[in-house]
Amino acid sequence: MTSTDAASAKAIAARRNYSFLFALTLLGLLVLLCVVLSFATPNFMTEKNISNLLRQGSMIAILAVGQTFVIITAGIDLSVGAVVGFSTVIIALLLQAGVPVPLAILITLLVGLGIGLFHGFGITQMGLPPFIITLATLTSLRGIGLLMTNGATISIENDNFTQFATQSFLNIPSLFWMVILVAIPAYILLNHMRWGRYLFAVGSNPESARLSGVRVKGVIYLAYSLSSVFAAFVGVLLATRIGIGNATQADGWELQAIASTVIGGTSLFGAVGSIHGPLIGAFILATINNGANLLNVNSFWQRIITGGLIILIVYFDQLRRRGR
Amino acid sequence: MSELRTAAAAAVPSSEDDTILELHNLEKRYGAVQALKPSNLKFRRGEVHAIVGENGAGKSTLIKLLTGVIPRTGGDILWNSKSVALSNPQEAIDHGINAVHQEVVLCRHLSVAANIFLGDETVKFGLLQKREMTRAAQKILDDMGFQIPAAAILGSLTIGQQQLVATARASLRGTQFLIFDEPTAYLTRQEAAQLFALIRRLKAEGVTIVYISHRMEEVFELADRVSVLRDGLMVGTRNIAETSDGELVSMMINRTIEQIYHKETIPFGETILETRNLSGKGFEDVSISIRRGEIVGLYGLIGAGRSEFALSVFGRNPKTSGEILWKGRPVDIRDERTAIGLGIALAPESRRDQGLNLNLPIGLNLNLPIYDRLTRGFTISGRAEAEHADRQIRNLSIKTPSRKTLASSMSGGNQQKIVIGKWLNHGAELFIFDEPTVGVDVGTKAEIYRLFAALLKEGAGILLISSYLPEVYELADTLHVFRTGHLVGSQPFRGSSHEDVLAEAIGV
Repeated sequence: MTSTDAASAKAIAARRNYSFLFALTLLGLLVLLCVVLSFATPNFMTEKNISNLLRQGSMIAILAVGQTFVIITAGIDLSVGAVVGFSTVIIALLLQAGVPVPLAILITLLVGLGIGLFHGFGITQMGLPPFIITLATLTSLRGIGLLMTNGATISIENDNFTQFATQSFLNIPSLFWMVILVAIPAYILLNHMRWGRYLFAVGSNPESARLSGVRVKGVIYLAYSLSSVFAAFVGVLLATRIGIGNATQADGWELQAIASTVIGGTSLFGAVGSIHGPLIGAFILATINNGANLLNVNSFWQRIITGGLIILIVYFDQLRRRGR
Repeated sequence: MSELRTAAAAAVPSSEDDTILELHNLEKRYGAVQALKPSNLKFRRGEVHAIVGENGAGKSTLIKLLTGVIPRTGGDILWNSKSVALSNPQEAIDHGINAVHQEVVLCRHLSVAANIFLGDETVKFGLLQKREMTRAAQKILDDMGFQIPAAAILGSLTIGQQQLVATARASLRGTQFLIFDEPTAYLTRQEAAQLFALIRRLKAEGVTIVYISHRMEEVFELADRVSVLRDGLMVGTRNIAETSDGELVSMMINRTIEQIYHKETIPFGETILETRNLSGKGFEDVSISIRRGEIVGLYGLIGAGRSEFALSVFGRNPKTSGEILWKGRPVDIRDERTAIGLGIALAPESRRDQGLNLNLPIGLNLNLPIYDRLTRGFTISGRAEAEHADRQIRNLSIKTPSRKTLASSMSGGNQQKIVIGKWLNHGAELFIFDEPTVGVDVGTKAEIYRLFAALLKEGAGILLISSYLPEVYELADTLHVFRTGHLVGSQPFRGSSHEDVLAEAIGV
């Protein structure tokens, strides 16, 4: 038995090293991209561009963190892009009606919560697969948003609100501060609160979790609520950035969020994931897109590169798992 | 236990030098770790060769080496006196080496016939000949004496029947060397008898059978020879007629058999749980009661309704009628959390499906039921979490270097300790153990039984569900027998013989 002890001790050390190395590799990849781009184009390492990059990456990063909670439970949330677009409509309409900004934000977040609870209801009470229920809301929310606005774009005339996205604090764009605002409590929840443990437990084996006294349904509600509230929050941020409400905004963002999450080392089979991984993943994608724009690479290439990167990173992750 | 021993297999093993497969200093290292120390062994053509040993003794490593799943790091394997590489599973199959694994590794959504012919389908003009294959599969199954419809979807069969399908599949295609890994763990007695008949027939046809089992009586019923592994070392080989289960067990663990079933008489206290005419899905009209200090055994075949009854008491499945009394008070156990709140703990039947979060650390598994107690304010106290997990690991002597090791990397016995361990400091007063020693080695069994005694001393009651007769027979103070969802007999401790209990369970 002592021999097996030594073997698994090694395995643990290797695994711990690995998850540290993986984060370091991702970070290294991000730095490498930045270094290469700053040599390739003089426009990259400018204050304006970096701020712009941080703004671009921030919203996907927040979506990716929300998505991570869901994917850890072995689920998926395809609706987040639609929730973002829908939320821009809600907040634009509220501000147009003269609702004070803090209240309008709160109501928008509550709408997001409602959508998340609906997903939880569909999964736990109606027995629908997460893929299906969130696919359904993906398409219907866009429809509802368009119906509410009659297909028109609602412009937001509140300057205080729309200036927020362009502001900076300590030279860092306000939108990036929002990532930090979200990531810290998300980190505490996932790693230092029992609900975080339950998310992993449900993703690993819901039956065992249930027989251990975990409220499995509650955990599912929690994960999808977090994802939708984060998406509604991103909707608010997007509204400040573009100054309009339009249900067709944020098209395809769910895929970018899922891609960031996966690049960040989250397993689509559940029970494996972190907060920092998806954050770095989101900014890797943002940097690639930013660099491609600066280098005048056809924007169609950006999509191809993103796809290739997903395959590459997940493939390396698979190699590691097999080697263990 | 020794009275279970039946006559040694009648057939005399074939001559000494009729060797089909030989291990020559075969060795497997993982880095500095020797999972299998240099071993020599000759398997003869047409013999049933049992391999016994505790969990982690190297049996799985040996199977994986012989079936080409992992490469060896030293020594040689001689197949018909010629060295073979066995570098991948296909090569092993091509030579005629096949294995039936403990867990069924077939396609649940395909038919029995499709599974039997998977990878070797009958095709005409590029089209599958389904009817022909179903007919051929049915003939194979009938010939083997298995009453299984070839057209049925595999997933609709019992685990035992699925195991028999896997056996049928593995014994086709010119198999000359067939390894069984704990084949009867999920079989009913009748299914096991069918399997044994097949094994005897294969043997008569000259196939070499390697039989791995924790159940001594099966080894004595089937095997010609038996080899013992301990800590990766081939300790020795015996002719079955010249050894005893006592000798084998002491070769495996250096401990005598009387020390395994640890039973202390503890005075019974008040009644903790009583069911009155409880009915639910899979069981009907069950009335039992459990006192403090008492082990109540539920014996019966798999599918007899014992586990369903236990799950209902635990709130997992709703009762349809009847009453549950907790310390004399009627209670409505609507869900698991209600049961846990009352003080009921359940170590469920299937470690993999119900008991463990396999790809999570041991510590998380052990702490899962008590995270509310480990939380200080909003966050979990990292220290309390670590201390609690480490204490359980120490108390149960779970063999792991760290609480951060994944549960999946543990052996069966250690996994079972985790399943039990998560309830130990929970303050439960009634423990339901459903098949607590399936796939668990003798040494760990003894440890688990000692744990039972400790729980009883603390004033708990135990509901012990088992398909393994010696276990309930030796340990239970009161024994209930289930058959097809009904309670068919109840005895106080050792009120009747093994044979009587068994007869009640199978209804003869």
